Amino acid sequence: MIRIENLSVNYGAVRALRDVSLEASPGRVTAVLGANGAGKTTLLRTISGLVKPKSGSIVFGEHSLIGLATENIARLGVAHVPEGRGVIGELTVEENLRLGALASKVNISEGLEAQYAQFPALGDRRKKYCATLSGGERQMLAMARALIAQPEVLLLDEPSLGLAPQVTSELMKSILRLCESKNLTVILVEQNAKSALRIAHTAVVLYLGTVVASDDAHKVANDEDLRRYYLGLVQ
Amino acid sequence: MHNVFAGLAQGLLYSLLALSLVIIWQSTHVLNFAQGAMAMFATYVGMTEIEHGVNYWWCVIISVTVGVLFGGLAERVLIRPLYGKPEINAIVVMVGFLGLIEAFVAGIWTGVTRNIPPPFSQIFFQAHGQVILLSPFVIFQFVLAISIMLIAAAIFRFTKLGLQLRASALAPEVARLLGVRVSRMLTIGWMFSAGVGAVAAVIIASGNFGLYPTNMNGIFVAGFIAAVVGGLDSPLGAIAGGLLIGLTEQFILSYWSANFASLGGIIILVLALMIRPQGIFTKNVERRV
Amino acid sequence: MDWIRSLRSQDTTHSRFLVVLSLTVLVLLITIFLPPVADSQLAEGAAIAIVILGLSWLIGWSGQISLGNSGFMAVGAYAASIWAQHHATTPLVFTFFLAIVMGSLSGLIIAIPSTRLKGPYLAGMTLAFSAAISPIAQNFTSVTGGENGQFLNELATPKWFLHLFHGQNAAINANAQWSCDIAIVVAGVAFFFMANLFHSRTGRAMRLIRDNDVAAELVGINLTLTRSVAFMIAAGFAGLGGALYTILNATVNPSTFPLTLSITLLTLMVLGGIGTLSGAVIGGIIYSFSSNLVDHINALTGVNPDSNLGANMQGIIFGALLILTMLFAPRGIAGLWGPLRRLKKPHRRLVTNQEVK
Repeated sequence: MIRIENLSVNYGAVRALRDVSLEASPGRVTAVLGANGAGKTTLLRTISGLVKPKSGSIVFGEHSLIGLATENIARLGVAHVPEGRGVIGELTVEENLRLGALASKVNISEGLEAQYAQFPALGDRRKKYCATLSGGERQMLAMARALIAQPEVLLLDEPSLGLAPQVTSELMKSILRLCESKNLTVILVEQNAKSALRIAHTAVVLYLGTVVASDDAHKVANDEDLRRYYLGLVQ
Repeated sequence: MHNVFAGLAQGLLYSLLALSLVIIWQSTHVLNFAQGAMAMFATYVGMTEIEHGVNYWWCVIISVTVGVLFGGLAERVLIRPLYGKPEINAIVVMVGFLGLIEAFVAGIWTGVTRNIPPPFSQIFFQAHGQVILLSPFVIFQFVLAISIMLIAAAIFRFTKLGLQLRASALAPEVARLLGVRVSRMLTIGWMFSAGVGAVAAVIIASGNFGLYPTNMNGIFVAGFIAAVVGGLDSPLGAIAGGLLIGLTEQFILSYWSANFASLGGIIILVLALMIRPQGIFTKNVERRV
Repeated sequence: MDWIRSLRSQDTTHSRFLVVLSLTVLVLLITIFLPPVADSQLAEGAAIAIVILGLSWLIGWSGQISLGNSGFMAVGAYAASIWAQHHATTPLVFTFFLAIVMGSLSGLIIAIPSTRLKGPYLAGMTLAFSAAISPIAQNFTSVTGGENGQFLNELATPKWFLHLFHGQNAAINANAQWSCDIAIVVAGVAFFFMANLFHSRTGRAMRLIRDNDVAAELVGINLTLTRSVAFMIAAGFAGLGGALYTILNATVNPSTFPLTLSITLLTLMVLGGIGTLSGAVIGGIIYSFSSNLVDHINALTGVNPDSNLGANMQGIIFGALLILTMLFAPRGIAGLWGPLRRLKKPHRRLVTNQEVK
């Protein structure tokens, strides 16, 4: 469970986030939606500790995350797949996966086997350098790398970026599957509101750094005003 | 033909220094101008113990250990405050550090050249009555330098630590998100690099040149040129560059004049710039965020 | 010090000329009241200040770092002394001019391969050059006099000046004063030239290249040419400073301008304040009295000046000073007051704070 209360973040004079509150529970996907510049990425980066907030609180279980170093937050079980996926091209598939497991207590060989079982395509390409992977393969790798450490929380920043609709659809289904089977707390940032809303239980809509809606996903999905003005979804 | 050995042996020293510069560059994007001086300092602390009856090998171990610790200290104290500032600041600080170390060493130990007798003879072999520029000491030089390079390569390629070091250099932010303690890795990178540099300094101190405060200056300049020509992002290129400079110098020494041997590096640098006039390694390293 | 700041903000060459002139006269007057020893120290300081000015221009204004200025000094110094040996009757002005030209030429030679290099590569290139000067000077013995170098005749004090001095040490005092005055005047001219340069099109082009070379190219500035010009100017200044230094000391040899001098120049420039006229002046003054400073510190810390440690104190102090200044006060003394010139970041930064903290 991640509880965020009254989070405010400034980039110099710009208020990136203003009094944002949200709750994300295990076994549920919480979607964070909104246009570019709404502050969605900033929110995830603040949870991960890459950005220091001006005020507010972020609580994960019994830990307060504010002020902790990023690597320590990761070691607590918060996995963040950043914008662009962050796959390290100069390393092989297997090396990227190993990297994901290093900081955790997971047995690396077992972890690798588990991920190769989950994502057979990665197993076929384990010695390949990641610069040669396709967008969809990179997304798979990024997910596997996040999951290998058996995290409790999964922060996903626009996983559908650059992927074909078919692939996106499969991706979303597997996110939901993983969320439920491993009881993960998933915070899913997406600009592709439609596909996100299909798998989300809760949806939070950001606009210029503030929360304009926070409700059950299907209510947000059916709200005409939200659809038109904040989500870019024309009926 | 036998001159080749001498050229390669000297070149290996340049390669070692070039390698140490590349390690630091890849992890922190600093060109450590004090690299040679730091290594020299480590050898002063370690190798001078031989005058007190300490065994040669212990001296080597002390030197490398001091070098490693000194490297870590330098990163923490001097470089850490400069992250985020313009590149030039770190260059200037390290140049100042260079001056400080050299003056300090001369102040404490005097500028007099000290000879450190190595455990291997420096007398050249003879074949068919001709002198070959190869001696047991030169063989030792080869073995030590190559072993260190192989060990370094192995650590980077095959160990957990090596993977973390590489990730911290390639994509620090992503590495942090995966739980890698990047700042610690940067310090370790400097320690690693300093250790490699210290080995080069040990060899130099034990050889014909001996130990004196500016003995690493020539090696540094050549190592720097090798790193730049070979590619600051490519350890193999750096090693190749070092060997090339060593061979060039030997060539000049044999066929022209010993006085101009030290210009070998500059010749290589100018040639490299002529072949790639757009400047060496203007390739921008894309850092993954 | 407001005077110096107003120097920079003067719009016309005319008013700049007046300000420099009055400052120069002021300094000349002051030196009359100083003992001959101080005069000689100040004279050397003036020579160094000229070199610092050139370096400050190069690093602070065009954003190119050079560790090779001691080499350019050597070129100017040798040029001046070799010429003076064979043509003793040439007016001093010509000798200086020659030093500037030779210095600039060597600057051009270095600039050709270097101007496309950035940051550390450029620094290393200039370092290599600086390291090469000594072997070259040592080996072309017929021209440079090899290890022993060159010896010049002492600077001849004109008769009319000698007559102004009376008393026991008239000749010594006169000579010291004359040398010092020459140095101050030359420095004054150099500073005047640089002040104009700051405000010229070239100066503005330099700053643009430093801050944003992409924009500079868009505006039609030829990067390579402008950078090379910057190098040549800096080298010319260094050559002048080197020649002046040599004329004051009446000798030059391969170890007069070692690499450590390049480091000292850097330290003085940073301490004084990068990219400022007043910074160069401060740097020169500190140099003038650096031996006094070192003696003072030796006395404070109880170090024996004749010991090895004592002899190397200058190097230790300057090295430490450079590090401390760069870490804590990178704008130097001149930056502590007055409008701060923002040194924008032109090049890549190191790993950012965020990525490490």
